[in-house]
Amino acid sequence: MDSSIRNRLLTILFVFGLGIYALLPSLRYSLMDEEKKSNLSDEQIDYFESRSIKQGLDLKGGIYIVLEVDLPQLIDNLAKNKDNNFNEFLIDLKNEYNNSSSDFFSVFENLADEKELKLPRYFINYGKTKDQIITQLSLQSEDSIKRVIEIIQNRVDQFGVAEPTIQKQGNNRVIVELAGIEDSERARDLLQSTALLELMIVKNVESTNAIIRQIDSIMTASNGNDNSQNDEINELFDSSSSSELGFSSLLISVGGNLAIASKDLTALKDILSKEDVKQILEATNSTILTSDSSIKLVNEIGEEEEFYTLFHLFNNAELTGGVIEDAQMRLSQAGVTAGQAVVEVEMNSEGSREWARITGANINNRIAIVLDKKVHMAPVIRSQIFGGGTVIEGLDSIEEAEDIAIVLRAGALPVPVTIAEERTVGASLGADSISKGTLSMAIGLLLVVCFIVFFYKMSGLIASFSVMWTLILLLGVLALLEATLTLPGIAGLILTVGMSVDANVIIFERIKEELRNGKSVRSAIDSGYERAIRTIVDANLTTGIAAAVLYQYGSGPIKGFATVLFWGIIVSMFTAIIVTRFVFDFVTTRKNIERLSI
Amino acid sequence: MKFMENTKINFMKFKSFGFGLSSVLAFGSIILLLMGVNLGIDFKGGTAIGVSFSEDVSIQEVRSSLKSVSLNDSLVDLSGEEIKYFGSQSDVMIKIKSLDNEPENFGQIVINHLYDSMSAKAPENKNDFILSLGSVSPKVGSELSGKAFWSVVSALVLILFYISVRFEFRFALGAILALVHDVVITLGIFSLTGFEITLSTVAAFLTIVGYSLNDTIVILDRIRENMKSSGTVMFESTINKSINQSLSRTLITSLTTLFVIIVLLVYGGEVIRPFSFTMLVGVIVGTYSSIYIASALLATIYQSSNK
Repeated sequence: MDSSIRNRLLTILFVFGLGIYALLPSLRYSLMDEEKKSNLSDEQIDYFESRSIKQGLDLKGGIYIVLEVDLPQLIDNLAKNKDNNFNEFLIDLKNEYNNSSSDFFSVFENLADEKELKLPRYFINYGKTKDQIITQLSLQSEDSIKRVIEIIQNRVDQFGVAEPTIQKQGNNRVIVELAGIEDSERARDLLQSTALLELMIVKNVESTNAIIRQIDSIMTASNGNDNSQNDEINELFDSSSSSELGFSSLLISVGGNLAIASKDLTALKDILSKEDVKQILEATNSTILTSDSSIKLVNEIGEEEEFYTLFHLFNNAELTGGVIEDAQMRLSQAGVTAGQAVVEVEMNSEGSREWARITGANINNRIAIVLDKKVHMAPVIRSQIFGGGTVIEGLDSIEEAEDIAIVLRAGALPVPVTIAEERTVGASLGADSISKGTLSMAIGLLLVVCFIVFFYKMSGLIASFSVMWTLILLLGVLALLEATLTLPGIAGLILTVGMSVDANVIIFERIKEELRNGKSVRSAIDSGYERAIRTIVDANLTTGIAAAVLYQYGSGPIKGFATVLFWGIIVSMFTAIIVTRFVFDFVTTRKNIERLSI
Repeated sequence: MKFMENTKINFMKFKSFGFGLSSVLAFGSIILLLMGVNLGIDFKGGTAIGVSFSEDVSIQEVRSSLKSVSLNDSLVDLSGEEIKYFGSQSDVMIKIKSLDNEPENFGQIVINHLYDSMSAKAPENKNDFILSLGSVSPKVGSELSGKAFWSVVSALVLILFYISVRFEFRFALGAILALVHDVVITLGIFSLTGFEITLSTVAAFLTIVGYSLNDTIVILDRIRENMKSSGTVMFESTINKSINQSLSRTLITSLTTLFVIIVLLVYGGEVIRPFSFTMLVGVIVGTYSSIYIASALLATIYQSSNK
């Protein structure tokens, strides 16, 4: 055996060895039955999970959610001394940003210039000049996103999902991938709930009545001035429930609380967003919120209707969720709530002190526990509470209690997040795709092998081997890269098979041509390979360019496709040019072959 | 086995016919595309819901159950949205345009509504009912279309650059025109089928770009090689010779690829069908264009520059 052949053999064996080594954990893990899997230690599972080829959500089922941090809302939260000018600016900012593809802060800056908005007026805490303010605000937004990611990470960890992926995308998005989750509704709520816990004192009945009278008078006044167009719209809809009869007509009294029918919630929102009403509430430092759960009542005509309780509260929160040290779901042991799920909250020392002060100063007042701007409950403070412990009762189910405990424990999101993109794949569809993908792969491969063996005889057999090895090596590379195999990825694998066959076909056709030109077997192989290589490299590199661009721009599943295609090109070039060449050389140097089976 | 060896087909004789056919196809495709492509939610924004009933349902049934969906305390009529079977008659795919004021969990609300209103035909476990749920906000949709557009454009520019360096600019021009031709015609045929354009179809289109290019390069490479001995005199015969020499390879490779794609089309399942279909059309058009667009254009370009 001459040294060139030996060196090539060693190289090839080394690469194959590496490929098999990389693929082994995936193979062993996928062949294990459930029972064996459950006997593995955590470390072993970690080992297998990280060394195996991961299946994408489209194969495994699960949820892919892109959360977008509500940056306009963040700006709103950070601003002080807000006036009409600023509020208008904010509305325009939202519209402009939603319709543009540029970066949020450049939209912000342009619009502020255009509207000649004096930023220092609203953001004096963040700097004196426009540039300083914008730099500081963008730092703030980055901080918020970091915090959002941390919190979501915490929540997901506590939710107990295997291999969650959470990553930042651009400068205001977070991608969350939860594989194998079935209850998408629950997961979505958990991710999205800002879990802003606020404790607010409920205003007394007199000031509430005063506010309602004031709002009523605004409504009647503004109705007189309304133009005819608005009246028409009101008539088109349900005219009796609309705002023209005033605010108090929407309300009923239920057990000492005010309540509003669920069909009137939109009307309530309209009323509360009127400028005049906002001003009155601001002047009295109060806010109006509704309860998070509804009660069912029978109305005058005997129909069952849903009602939400209405609360008039001091606008500034006495305490927020930040002081919470721990929150646990428990089953209540005693009292009327025995057996029900409750959440026990513990506060840090600062929170406990505040809590003692608040409860001490407000005995016999009601305190509202407000979650995400909805009043969850509003118990009366009977006595001062020391030690910071408190209990949230009245939850519907153990699951709800657990979820509330998780979000309270993991912390509140600093800014609201919206879902920009969501993809849920049911486990059954995923499984269907896997089995069909594998089946078509197997059939396709078999057909290809028959085809090339039919055309190229022995040489076709060598080519078939090289195609098999291409697949094995490619899967090995994917395992090493910890890449995720998606459905388009499987398509990429199939395409790689095609490309790999093509490389062999190009080579064989060249060799045949050289043979027809009267060359000996040895020199036909040599010059055939030599001339084919240039073609193969050019053809593959151009496809490689397409794959690289795809990787650069693509997201999720497409990225998976590009990865497979890119490595497929490299691996198939290796097997076609180096491996099959070696086999030909090996056979022809040992025996003096006069006729090539091609 | 001998297959298409030593053929002496005069491909360039049919050059004008090829140009004519391609022009008609491309023109027709452009008209079809102008009439409107069926963009998926990836690019337009919206919600797509796949549900699996436990028995066969009629589209009409699903449509009428979507007549009044309670949303934000008002009733919305979704019966005009796109509803079609997905694989079998018990699986249904519903595509809903983005609404103004759409609540965050809109897709889930629609699923819940369907599940409740057609409970007799729905599986017991709600999680078995949901096949897939996708929602894309219009903002993300327009971003994704921008990305897809630029990915195709930048791939073409980079490839043009690569071929100009490796061959020469005139070769690159022919190759790129052939690619644009392939993509346009495949898009045209694609839009006839009513499949919608999603992210994975864009992947398929880029794969076609890669594949068709592969094919074109193999022939161009031969032409370059043969030009060394014959120069640019009798250019058409050089091109004919090159196409004939690489004909067996072109056909064998195209056939093997087509086998694999047809298998994928038949057995690959519903999710991947638009992808496989695009590939099928693309491979056929791509093989044809390597001969009649890339090479024939090259001949025309050379003829006019040699005059």
